[in-house]
Amino acid sequence: MEISDEALCERVARRDDEALATLVARYQERAYRLAWSILRDAEEARDLSQDAFVRVWEAAGSFRGQAKFSTWFYRILVNLCLDHRRRQRWWRRLVGGSGPDSDSSEALVEKLPAPDPGPGAELGKDEMMQRVWAAVGRLSPQQRAAVVLHVQEELPTREIAAVLRCSEATVRVHLHRAVAALRQSVGRG
Amino acid sequence: MAGAHPENEIVPYLKGELTGADRERVGHHLEACPDCRQTAETVREVFDLLSRAMPVPPPLHRARYLAEVRERIEGRRPGGFVTWWRRPLPIGVSAALATAVLVLILQTGVRERGVVSDLGPYEEVVLGQRLQISEDSALLERLDLLEDLDVIRNLDGLAATRGS
Repeated sequence: MEISDEALCERVARRDDEALATLVARYQERAYRLAWSILRDAEEARDLSQDAFVRVWEAAGSFRGQAKFSTWFYRILVNLCLDHRRRQRWWRRLVGGSGPDSDSSEALVEKLPAPDPGPGAELGKDEMMQRVWAAVGRLSPQQRAAVVLHVQEELPTREIAAVLRCSEATVRVHLHRAVAALRQSVGRG
Repeated sequence: MAGAHPENEIVPYLKGELTGADRERVGHHLEACPDCRQTAETVREVFDLLSRAMPVPPPLHRARYLAEVRERIEGRRPGGFVTWWRRPLPIGVSAALATAVLVLILQTGVRERGVVSDLGPYEEVVLGQRLQISEDSALLERLDLLEDLDVIRNLDGLAATRGS
């Protein structure tokens, strides 16, 4: 029978290196994908996902098992990513860089024709998919994290709230506002 | 149509997270409110688009991943091997570098705002004497750091409030 993540975490707290290796094997793809969805940079995603495992090694003793290991781990990872974004924004403002969060997907959206709001006219499906994910890149970090955890990781609202350390009501607001912004991007708002 | 629009509850309703009275209330509202029904349809469409077209990150090269995690852990151990670019600088050097960067940035910012002082050295000496700042050695020590002319221009007000 496969050992649970929680039991592995207990072993990591006792400095069991093989237990850490098993957790890394189980979560590295998800961690990298989640970090990349928030950061949209492969190198940063790799770095921060690895940092999250380092934090697991250092703080495994503080994991009490009150939440699932995955929730606890995602919280560590998402906080690392959000802190990283905040530092980047601060630094860009300080040196006079471009204003709001942006990534290369924004440039792609600028090249796409604006949606025609006329009756019967509709964006092509492919174009719409590109546009909506580009719009996700323009959400606030918390909204983006909520959307990614909901769509990609398929977490229930309760768990998203635990990861983001906020109330379920706040998560609902994040998702509602994110959807409102995304609706605009596909010409449905 | 009675009741406020349950905007923030449409997503959990569609996810099946609402139960009991809440689920009934939102369900009845959606039946009665065409706007909210349209909103729910759009939410469904947006999340459907998102889940069908999730961008795929560049592939993760797994071979070195665990080794790199172990290297990071080793690098954080006291006395552990740390690659030179990861070694923390001594605090004094870090503070000096941070101050230098801050001064450079503030200087650049001041020039870009076009507010570089036109005061010559003579005028600056006279201004300093009028403000009696030469008597405040602590302030003088900090003048090197006070590149922001807004602060210097406000010294008039500061001197007045200190009753000098």
